[in-house]
Amino acid sequence: MVPVPGSLSSAELSCFTCSPTDLSELLKKGTKESHDRATNTQFVKDFLKGRIKKEVFKLATVALYFTYSALEEEMDHNKDNPVFAPLYFPLELHRREALVKDMEYFYGEDWKEKIQCSEATQQYVDRIRHVGQHEPELLVAHAYTRYMGDLSGGQVLKKVAQRALKLPPTEEGIQFYMFENISNAQQFKQLYRARMNALDLDKNTKERIVEEANRAFKLNMQVFDELEKTGLSLADEAQDGGVPVHDGKGDIRKCPFYADKLGGTAGAGCPYHTAMSLAKQPLVQLILAAWVALAAGAAAWYVM
Amino acid sequence: MGDAGVKQTVSTPDSPAEQDSLFSMTDLFLISLITGLLTYWFFFRKKKEEVPELPKISPVASPVRDSSFIEKMKKTGRNIVVFYGSQTGTAEEFANRLSKDAHRYGLRGMAADPEEYDLSDLSRLSEIDKSLAVFCMATYGEGDPTDNAQDFYDWLQETDADLSGLRFAVFGLGNKTYEHFNAMGKYVDKRLEELGAQRIFELGQGDDDGNLEEDFITWREQFWPAVCEHFGVEATGEESSIRQYELVVHTDVNMSKVYTGEMGRLKSYENQKPPFDAKNPFLAPVTVNRKLNKGGERHLMHLELDISNSKIRYESGDHVAVYPANDSSLVNQIGEILQTDLDTIMSLNNLDEESNKKHPFPCPTSYRTALTYYLDITNPPRTNVLYELAQYATEPGEQEQLRKMASSAAEGKALYLSWVVEARRNILAILQDMPSLRPPIDHLCELLPRLQARYYSIASSSKVHPNAIHICAVTVEYETKTGRLNKGVATNWLKNKVPHENRSKSLVPMYVRKSQFRLPFKPSTPVIMIGPGTGIAPFMGFIQERAWLKQQGKEVGDTVLYYGCRHENEDYLYREELARFHEDGLLTQLNVAFSRDQAEKVYVQHLLRKNKENVWKLLNEGNAHVYVCGDARNMARDVQNTFYEIVAEFGNMSQPQAVDYVKKLMTKGRYSLDVWS
Repeated sequence: MVPVPGSLSSAELSCFTCSPTDLSELLKKGTKESHDRATNTQFVKDFLKGRIKKEVFKLATVALYFTYSALEEEMDHNKDNPVFAPLYFPLELHRREALVKDMEYFYGEDWKEKIQCSEATQQYVDRIRHVGQHEPELLVAHAYTRYMGDLSGGQVLKKVAQRALKLPPTEEGIQFYMFENISNAQQFKQLYRARMNALDLDKNTKERIVEEANRAFKLNMQVFDELEKTGLSLADEAQDGGVPVHDGKGDIRKCPFYADKLGGTAGAGCPYHTAMSLAKQPLVQLILAAWVALAAGAAAWYVM
Repeated sequence: MGDAGVKQTVSTPDSPAEQDSLFSMTDLFLISLITGLLTYWFFFRKKKEEVPELPKISPVASPVRDSSFIEKMKKTGRNIVVFYGSQTGTAEEFANRLSKDAHRYGLRGMAADPEEYDLSDLSRLSEIDKSLAVFCMATYGEGDPTDNAQDFYDWLQETDADLSGLRFAVFGLGNKTYEHFNAMGKYVDKRLEELGAQRIFELGQGDDDGNLEEDFITWREQFWPAVCEHFGVEATGEESSIRQYELVVHTDVNMSKVYTGEMGRLKSYENQKPPFDAKNPFLAPVTVNRKLNKGGERHLMHLELDISNSKIRYESGDHVAVYPANDSSLVNQIGEILQTDLDTIMSLNNLDEESNKKHPFPCPTSYRTALTYYLDITNPPRTNVLYELAQYATEPGEQEQLRKMASSAAEGKALYLSWVVEARRNILAILQDMPSLRPPIDHLCELLPRLQARYYSIASSSKVHPNAIHICAVTVEYETKTGRLNKGVATNWLKNKVPHENRSKSLVPMYVRKSQFRLPFKPSTPVIMIGPGTGIAPFMGFIQERAWLKQQGKEVGDTVLYYGCRHENEDYLYREELARFHEDGLLTQLNVAFSRDQAEKVYVQHLLRKNKENVWKLLNEGNAHVYVCGDARNMARDVQNTFYEIVAEFGNMSQPQAVDYVKKLMTKGRYSLDVWS
């Protein structure tokens, strides 16, 4: 079955150099435009430049937490489903535990009570749930969109975040970006692609998967936009009211206003507030009352 | 408040009415008043005072505190400030290294983030004696400054400050593939000069597309001599070098607190607790250790490690990492030549208290333990080690040679290459060949790199051997140009791990590192495995697994092996096992090349070429996955070239198209490599 040299048309020739039926290639080509659009959003561009407020980064982590919790739960449910099984890599890929660690770092032990799922994130989560439960053959689209990205550009984001937010070198706050069980990201992506291509899918399903991946990009961008808006409104708040005690420049650790380290529980702020909260404590009030009572008694004694 | 005159002490009652009680009413009143006042003073007054003070200190760059680097330098006795424009931390790291270097020349440096300071103070730097401002500036995007250098950049453009009296130098970090290569570095260098500052060394232009680290080192090595010349200080290591750690010898120590070779937690080798990983290895007993080859000079071996009860899981294709120990005779010789009692218990404590790395290796421990388990004593030492050791060579010729080999001069590099690298001189050899070089052992321990774990492709399938991990390795042993016999650390250590009845006698600290070298998801997919020599290791696992799958009733595709060795009757590894798999029909093809059994060399790629039609068929029609394991330098490359040939010929493609085709196979995970050099 050896082709006679020169007998192939250029169309057939080119078919040897590309496999337009491989899902991995269909996805790459089919989402290129969405991908470019996503990386060119203002939010991402700013992030890459290190222009991200701590509060926004925390909210982004919250969004990731809800997204990946949903995605990984749906993946767990479908781990034996032949439409997804080859892509089930809980040990290597799953982010939920890492995100929980990051939440603990940013919000403290009671982080669960402090966070909520934003509107855009909820839309994303809802779609993932729907796919996982009713169209599991499309689940690969969501896994592909997130995890492949995390293993590529995500690594750059990690360094940027660490620097921009002056996070500790012991890597708290960025556990999400660390894939401890993947020694070589490039090789893992290659394996992942082989697995995608091992799925038995007809042409129609593959097209639907590409469509779903584009949808996933869109849902991500909606989350970015929401974060962008939040970031802008935060800037406005800082400008009115209160003493502008920290202008955002310089090393926050050197600022005399901040008693505790970065990322600690919210609330503990400047000494004025500390004094006021101190004044609210019962012991202090007792001493105050006792002193007032004594003073009153003394005054009475003097007068009488 | 009336007559609050000071009363007598409480022991003297004042009025007859109060003679019986210890305190009079007045005393009570006074005590509570004073208590009240004191309470107020300590709990409230202080805070109220602080609040109005603080707004004065913050935002506006005031001369007090933080925003003046001049004040900070004066306070901490520094004369060199290294500013960094850094986005991902590289420039910052370079700045830190430069500021630490200064020590060597009797100068004191500090790294500084330009965003945190008022850079207009540069005009005041001359207030400090022997001062110098260095800039490590990265260029970002379209020739832009990094974020933390934006303000500095703006200031440079707008200002007309007079910077005469300011000495400076700039090292730029850039990337030649970008249009505005090192734009920021170039701009700062030019602009500072325009403003009257004095350049004392030329602009460095690091290229991240090439080798940024090397560019930095080369620039740095000429920079400091220029600085020294300018300030008239000595640019040599004649002064005592900078120790990073401080030696503490323990005379009366609780032996239960001393490390005896553990990688992480103290006593983790006595109390083993899962999960097991790089910081907490599992001590696996060796149950099998047999020689694989039937002849020849080399020693090839097959080992089996027992991982029962460890909760360790693995998949065929994964790697097993082992923590070896250095040869005790080598360790003893080092102890003798340096005339040290190796059993001294000591700690090396980091002088930088803020550092996360308290010790270079687990401390407290003995020198013997350190040299055996924690330090690399067999690889030729790097140039920075030679540089630091030079000060201890009392014979001038030897000292000069060491300094030369550590320098960046072409002659020095060549000498290092031949005398250290090509001659494979390890630290003991250097000490032996330079009799006047006798460094203190603790400094040596600080300088030597850590002993690394060694990785081996697992030669078993967890489906067939869930409680064992098999290793296939060849012991490394060779004679050097100096007539010494060098031995590979891990392979020789493994060779001597003979199974004992008392299993605790032959333990291997190990853990599993997941790889991405995997059989195809569908058993029906054909596989072409190419693994000459010890490269056959992972394929033993693959073949075992495919056999198991077949037993389970699964449809298993073609399983093709290309193996190579020197002589059929000497080093044909796993010959019997492979023959059996072949007979059973599991191994569809067993292609073996014996390189030295005939006049011309026959390797695996020759066999591939002989079967090119079949190879193409499997690839193109069968959707086969290709796996290459073994030598990276030559074999992998030769095999890849053979595939280009086959694809070009049978796919009817040009060479570039064929290369593209194979590269695509790699991207899609259909051509995988597990190679080493």
